[in-house]
Amino acid sequence: MKGNWFSRKQLAIPYIMFLILFVVLPLIVVLYYAFTDGDGNVSFENFLHFFQNGKTVGTLVYSVIIALITTVVCLLIAYPVAYILAKGSFCGKHAFLMLFVLPMWINFTLRITAMKEILTVIEGNLAYYQFFNTILCMVYDFLPFMILPLYNTLTKLDKSLIEAAHDLGADKVQVFFKVVLPLSVPGIISGVTMVFLPSMTNYVVLDMIYNSTYIMGSLIGSYFSAYDWHNGSVISIILLAMIFVVTMISNRFTDGDDASAERARRL
Amino acid sequence: MKRFKCKFFSVILSVMILCVSVLPLYGCGEDEDDAIVLRVSNWEEYIDEGEWDEEEAIELDNGTVICPENSMIDDFEAWFEETYGKKVRVEYSTFGTNEELYNQMLMGDVYDLACPSEYMIQKMIAEDMLEPYTKDFYNASDDNNYYAKGVSPYIKNVFDNLSIDGKKLSDYAAGYMWGTLGIVYNPEVITEEEASHWNLLLDEKYSKRVTIKDSVRDAYFAGNSIFNEALITSSAFLNASDYKSKLDATINATDSDTVNSVEDILSRIKDNVYSFETDSGKADMVSGKVVANQQWSGDAVYTLDQAEEEGVELCYSAPKEATNLWFDGWCMLRAGIDGDAEKKLAAEAFVNFMSRPDNAIRNMWYIGYTSVIAGGDDSSMLDYINWTYSMDEETAEEEGVELMEYPIGYFFTGKFEDELDAETSVKYTIVADSAQMNRQLFAQYPTEEVMARSVVMEYFDKDENERINRMWLNVRCFDLYKFLGGK
Repeated sequence: MKGNWFSRKQLAIPYIMFLILFVVLPLIVVLYYAFTDGDGNVSFENFLHFFQNGKTVGTLVYSVIIALITTVVCLLIAYPVAYILAKGSFCGKHAFLMLFVLPMWINFTLRITAMKEILTVIEGNLAYYQFFNTILCMVYDFLPFMILPLYNTLTKLDKSLIEAAHDLGADKVQVFFKVVLPLSVPGIISGVTMVFLPSMTNYVVLDMIYNSTYIMGSLIGSYFSAYDWHNGSVISIILLAMIFVVTMISNRFTDGDDASAERARRL
Repeated sequence: MKRFKCKFFSVILSVMILCVSVLPLYGCGEDEDDAIVLRVSNWEEYIDEGEWDEEEAIELDNGTVICPENSMIDDFEAWFEETYGKKVRVEYSTFGTNEELYNQMLMGDVYDLACPSEYMIQKMIAEDMLEPYTKDFYNASDDNNYYAKGVSPYIKNVFDNLSIDGKKLSDYAAGYMWGTLGIVYNPEVITEEEASHWNLLLDEKYSKRVTIKDSVRDAYFAGNSIFNEALITSSAFLNASDYKSKLDATINATDSDTVNSVEDILSRIKDNVYSFETDSGKADMVSGKVVANQQWSGDAVYTLDQAEEEGVELCYSAPKEATNLWFDGWCMLRAGIDGDAEKKLAAEAFVNFMSRPDNAIRNMWYIGYTSVIAGGDDSSMLDYINWTYSMDEETAEEEGVELMEYPIGYFFTGKFEDELDAETSVKYTIVADSAQMNRQLFAQYPTEEVMARSVVMEYFDKDENERINRMWLNVRCFDLYKFLGGK
């Protein structure tokens, strides 16, 4: 019977096809456009174009500020929530987790539309609070993406380590900062990657709540609708570089984690 | 139509279109029948879909009753078979912006007939993408040539006068809908005088209560009109013998001085307005979130109708400095037609069917925009306008409103009032509620005065486009320098 089963290699074919078609090929196209000019010659002009223009650099800074604040606020809200959900012992824990994850099942444009109407009732004229509203809606949009990885890491956290810390005389605050927080770093990292980069490009949120300033995502859209594939691709490459940097940093953390585990095993 | 859907939806749509366009590859094979396949691409929600209730039926004075059951597409397929004895199958798809249509074709989508706006038609002519109409199409003595028979002489003239690289627009495009770009406003807050100037967008009195279109061309039109306000409203300019061509040149100017000044104006507008909106302006006008909004005439009609249902009265104005005259036209695409005479016949028949007065009325009623069709010998279109707007003295007295005479002879004859004889002038004068002077009637059929200062915004070539797009990015990007306390 064994011979009738697909081999591992065969099972990987659809996945590899998907990767090539929807990840590798588009990436090659983006790279091609970013490093060529209109006549197909290799050129770095497009990058100079981006970094020499104060306005486009301004938009990069603006996007990073929005993403940074969104990420920090998400983290500050999500961590206690995930901690309580993971460590607390109360009934209906799963129901509570469900409540936080539930919004993910509803399309985000619908959620933002609802948010817009609520904010209009509270604020009156949304145009005076554009930045605040942007952050608020981004946080609302991305919060579940921060809670879930944190919750996963915190539930897997070895309780005996906390008990050991208590036994060795650490108080609750010390236990948290010396044991729980460092051990949950992988969760924080994956939460941050899932919030930071998407919030740099999620321009639909800005459009919907009347913030007319461009962020990186809108800039790509704007270039593309003007048939300027080259400059649009440059923005994508810059974002890609940022993803790369963030992944490098997070790998270092998780590598460090593995290394320490390795060391512990050897001992 | 110059309506933008949310960018998000267009992205989703393009992904879906991509998926759908790949699918047929698997089913490749011969058609079950030998029908001509006509691939049509039109704006979203820009054609009548049928299924009217009996109460909705339009009964015109000339005896025509319009109450379609089937969609326009089904009716066309039936009509074509009946008239030409051949089967046709329409593959209908839609787009959200001119750029989207162009990009779709660049990516390899093939259409036989599409309906872009004036500047995109010019671009496509310049890039040799369009197939000219046949001589037969313009032969008004053929009964089935509803376009040649019925197109408004005024609009035809506009088409004839536009050209690019020596190619006349009217050889490559047949009009569908047309209109102006103006301002929808709430008369309880904003006076008519304030709303008749583009600088309303800069008025601090209405700071954060006015919206502007999120479209570089429409914003540029408004910005450039504000920049040149003093010049183009001066009496020397207005009375010049070549006023119209000077106005065209001024508004279409894209030299770097003008572009820089417009950038400055648009940056100030950005700080002053509620937002640059893609599609939310209509609803926000009705709900009262904003008190004025830059709008295309057809969407203005829709907004005014919606507001009336909610018990709110809104008005429409066409600013005094210059009014943008725009239109969408049917164009045959070279890549799709590919020299196939039968296909060309079907495409031309499609345009003619859309131009049949009763069908033009169907579309107008459904989408709110104004058809380029005047009807020629057929009085349906005039009857329809009368059916919609005209009011007799008795009703006026009952409702306590004043009547006004509203001449639109220019649209039907191509001549202005002072050139028309009395009889024709009376025939094409609508007697309507005087409030219609700045409401739906005015939005659908602007006055002669407005047409006199109307400008078609033409296609920008590569350099101009680059300049204007850079200007637009500068307006929309985050101004770090200013944020850090610069001037």
